[in-house]
Amino acid sequence: MLLHILNRSPASSRVPFDALRAMGDNDRLLLLEDGVYGAVAPLAETFASIRGRIFVLKEDLVSRGLEHRQAETMELVDMQGFVALTEQATQTVSWY
Amino acid sequence: MSARTSDKCVTVEGRDIALDPEGYLIDMDEWTPGVAIALAAQEGRLLTEEHWEVIEVLRDFYRRYEMAPAMRPLVKAVGQTLGAEKGKSLHLMKLFPESPAKVAARLAGLPKPTNCL
Amino acid sequence: MLVMLRHSPHGSSWLREGLDVALVGAALGRKVHVLFLGDGVQALIAGQTSGPLGQKGTHPTLDMLEMYDIDTLLVDGESLAQRGLTIDDLQLPVSLVDAASLPRVLAEHSPIYSF
Repeated sequence: MLLHILNRSPASSRVPFDALRAMGDNDRLLLLEDGVYGAVAPLAETFASIRGRIFVLKEDLVSRGLEHRQAETMELVDMQGFVALTEQATQTVSWY
Repeated sequence: MSARTSDKCVTVEGRDIALDPEGYLIDMDEWTPGVAIALAAQEGRLLTEEHWEVIEVLRDFYRRYEMAPAMRPLVKAVGQTLGAEKGKSLHLMKLFPESPAKVAARLAGLPKPTNCL
Repeated sequence: MLVMLRHSPHGSSWLREGLDVALVGAALGRKVHVLFLGDGVQALIAGQTSGPLGQKGTHPTLDMLEMYDIDTLLVDGESLAQRGLTIDDLQLPVSLVDAASLPRVLAEHSPIYSF
């Protein structure tokens, strides 16, 4: 299982779509930095196909004033959760 | 031919040619065979026909790829141009001891190979 | 190892940095595969030149990959199509990767370096 890490918003970049196409069936995706803009409806729809395998970094959501506005399909993780996700993955792939 | 050398430049036929701190030509366009001879003399080396043909392979490599090769691609390029017998690291080690990719690039007037480890 | 190149030439240094990693890997004797994806496919467009101020392009480095025995060049077909390109527009022979195989390419390589 790969952990994909995305810091671009689907509103401004095609990179999130490339990441989605490259993801395997068990891979996970973590949104961080500007990637967290994609956690809010309607942009969150972009990630409908990977329900249950998508995570958002809380610290970056909070700093952008978006706390509690993330779609409910998104699982919030803090820095410790980020580390845990990394440890569970065979490797990480960054998308920026 | 008169050639005088210092740390920062090499003088060939009355012309001062600037070198970087590691001894590589700063301006590649200043290279002439005389420069190669003077640079080799700095290292106490005399250039033979076998040195020259490798220097020519290097200069051709740079013309095509705009980069000085590391050891493996240098061996491959020499093999392609001069034949399998010469496309061996042993052959290049004999001609340019210690670090053929770096030593030969310097004599050929190329920048230091960046992917050379 | 897999080097993913996802940025176009000239616009940023990411492409060059990715190529440097591929070259260093190969110089160390690693088997290097390269995947062009997203804007990275634009690195392969034939007919590139140096920049208007003489800045070096990356196209000679791509030609050089075979000298480093980097001969597996994978290209995401979807990224080409999105940009109106076909393999006939590219400066090098490549292997097309279709949508179904793309995740497998990533799964089969370790480590992956993304640029």
